[in-house]
Amino acid sequence: MWSYTLRRLLATIPTLLIVITVCYILLHAAPGGPFDAEVKVSEAVMANLQAKYHLDLPLWQQYLHYLNNLAHGDLGASFRYADWSVNDLVAAALPVSLAIGGGALLISFVIGVGLGIAAGLRQNSMADHGVMLIGNLGSVFPSFVIGPVLVLVFALWLHWLPAGGWDDFKPAFMVMPMALLTFINVATIARVMRGSLLEVLNSNFIRTARAKGLPTRLVVMRHALKPALLPVISVMSPLAISSITAALVTETVFSLPGLGKLIVNGAGNRDYTLVLGLVVLITVIAVTLNLLVDLAYAALDPKIRYH
Amino acid sequence: MKKNARRQFALLALCAAMALPVAAAVVPPGVELHPTQTLIRNNGSEPETLDPASAETVGANNITRDMFEGLTANDAAGKIIPGLAESWKQTNATTWVFKLRQNAKWSNGDPVTAQDVVYGIRRFLDPKTASKYAATYGVFLQNGKEVAMGKKPPSEVGVKALDKFTVEIKTPFPVSFLPQLVSNNNLGPVHQASIEKFGKDWTKPGNLVGNGAYVLKEWQVNSKVVLEKNPNYWDAANVQLTRVTYLPVEDGNADVKLFESGQNEWVYQLPPGTYEDAKKKYPKDVRNAPMLGLRYYDFQTQSPAFKDVRVRKALSMVIDRDILAQKITADGQSPLYGLVVKGMDGAEMFEYDWAKWPMAKKIEEAKKLLAEAGVKPGTKYTFSYNTSEYHKKMAIFAQSEWKTKLGLTIELEAMEFKVLVKKRHDGAFQMARNGFIADYNDATNFLALVRCDSDQNTNFHCNRKAEEIINQAEQSDEPAKRKQLLTQAVKMIMEDYPILPMLQYSLPRLVKSYVGGYSLENAQDRFRSKDLYIIKH
Repeated sequence: MWSYTLRRLLATIPTLLIVITVCYILLHAAPGGPFDAEVKVSEAVMANLQAKYHLDLPLWQQYLHYLNNLAHGDLGASFRYADWSVNDLVAAALPVSLAIGGGALLISFVIGVGLGIAAGLRQNSMADHGVMLIGNLGSVFPSFVIGPVLVLVFALWLHWLPAGGWDDFKPAFMVMPMALLTFINVATIARVMRGSLLEVLNSNFIRTARAKGLPTRLVVMRHALKPALLPVISVMSPLAISSITAALVTETVFSLPGLGKLIVNGAGNRDYTLVLGLVVLITVIAVTLNLLVDLAYAALDPKIRYH
Repeated sequence: MKKNARRQFALLALCAAMALPVAAAVVPPGVELHPTQTLIRNNGSEPETLDPASAETVGANNITRDMFEGLTANDAAGKIIPGLAESWKQTNATTWVFKLRQNAKWSNGDPVTAQDVVYGIRRFLDPKTASKYAATYGVFLQNGKEVAMGKKPPSEVGVKALDKFTVEIKTPFPVSFLPQLVSNNNLGPVHQASIEKFGKDWTKPGNLVGNGAYVLKEWQVNSKVVLEKNPNYWDAANVQLTRVTYLPVEDGNADVKLFESGQNEWVYQLPPGTYEDAKKKYPKDVRNAPMLGLRYYDFQTQSPAFKDVRVRKALSMVIDRDILAQKITADGQSPLYGLVVKGMDGAEMFEYDWAKWPMAKKIEEAKKLLAEAGVKPGTKYTFSYNTSEYHKKMAIFAQSEWKTKLGLTIELEAMEFKVLVKKRHDGAFQMARNGFIADYNDATNFLALVRCDSDQNTNFHCNRKAEEIINQAEQSDEPAKRKQLLTQAVKMIMEDYPILPMLQYSLPRLVKSYVGGYSLENAQDRFRSKDLYIIKH
């Protein structure tokens, strides 16, 4: 298991390099530079700005310079937010995104799996239809529709929660964004869990277990749950990644200072270092999550471990 | 005669300076203040910096205006009043002397001296600081342009400390609006010792030393900037607000929701299409004031399609600005037919003769002009704008006007802002959306958009005769003559139709009715928190 983990970790290095290289080229190829603005700056100022950010060097030298800094844990200086380094900006935004996105993902897993099991065990019952309805609603309504509705109801009509903003991880400010992301994730997890459980429950080894006279509760807990969870584990990684992209809408609706806002503003401002820094971070998160999913898979399915 | 006029002007300037009001928040008699004097205002975006020398956006300048004080300042109504300087006089056409307050202190208790002002201005113009406004303001200081261009050292800029509390500023030509210009914090003092001690981290909470009415308490990127009253400020006794929180909310709808929930007391700008509803829903809170800003379209006058002035004139004539203002943008902006907007000093407003004609007559004339220029119905043009619902609405309206009234086909080209500004600076367009908000209240600020060798000229038109007149005006130290010459130059240039003026900006927003000190006269939208107060509610 350890060598498998190590091999997977080493494999992330070329992945990261490819992502950085492609992103680097695309950013520099995009029309409009970081210092293009309404006011055209003088040549002397432009020269100083370019020298300050090493933009006066040939592209390949800039690239190597960037990689060298990255290897030392330095994501560079932000082009747009002159008073902050990219490390500072990421350090400020990451905890917010992790708290909202990570928290929502955890809650959605628990609720989604629970609802999926309830629906799978009572196929075609009211509970099943209810879960399917939630699943469909979560898929049909985009977050930019649900978000403002939540604000309208819970902040403006009921005055239970703040309409947005952020205040040092105070729960009141986290409830609605987390609820929104949870709702979207629960829908997917519950549907996958239900389908997977139904498939497992119809398989031969479950029929054998039932034939031996085991009660349904034990059949589900001992034999069906583990294999039924595998597809759910598979979707957790893409769900986590999509939480970061969905965060853009969530952060806009609720005015949150997370990663989504940074990356969109960074791209619009041609803040090369900021965008690259966030791409590196998201790639690392994606690779780590995929690794965790694979490890969880191995833990749940002995066949994978033996291979 | 000329010498006499100069003397008279200097005396006038001195008298004006001495007569200026100095008070901070003026609380009218009978108004009872709320026991809690705090304000939360949305600032529209995250400030790119809190270094006054590098601040370029409105948002960054709003905050630095609270933490730093220039030689002069804008009061709540936008008028120039003493700031760090308690008085000033023009000793000759190109020399100004500013007397600093001897009780002015930095937030750490150090006295603010003339040397701090000299250091601030030299640092601002030094290409090493890489301030994007260095050249814009530098041209008004002796050797300022050369310093900003890196051709002379910062020590050669025409600013010096005559004694501990007296600053002398020399200009390369008579700059009658210099007191207006030095209200910009880019040209203000900064605390040398803290900059040298903390380097680029000098703007962080705990490090930042300012001379304004507020100090930086907290800065959470993309979340908030919190300022607190500076007890060392010279006028602290008249500062009412004890805490001001700036939010960086960009989404207008989220901004309004925060206002409605009571988490924000100042909506930066109402989202497009919501002004009329806001007026009905929040009649006491809605505020909309005209600004020194121009919404216009650029013609690429070097492009074969727009080389002929008759084509540019025809296209300008048929846009119904009244319908545009009342029905399309519908947020209180005014129709505009010239370069100089209402409230701008230094030149008379210009309006085309045909502006008041009935539309049928304008269309007839425009068709005639196009026919003379050999432009046939169905001719295609491209219009470029940056992606935004507001700009899109305006562009579709213009497209429709040109199609229905002249039979022209307009291809709309939406793009990112960065792409559009690059296209405009490179001249790689036929027609493009543009806009300008004054940095200082003088017609020369707007003339930069149409002058021959200006970096801001993105229509690439040049009228050398008008340029000579502007140069004459700039050398004049007689305000009336200067105004007459600039008005003449504006008229000459606008008759060449290099741009298509559309609307004068206004800023529709919501501000809680209990926020006192907010004025609808502040045409540059420069509100210092020291001029505001919270009424008991």
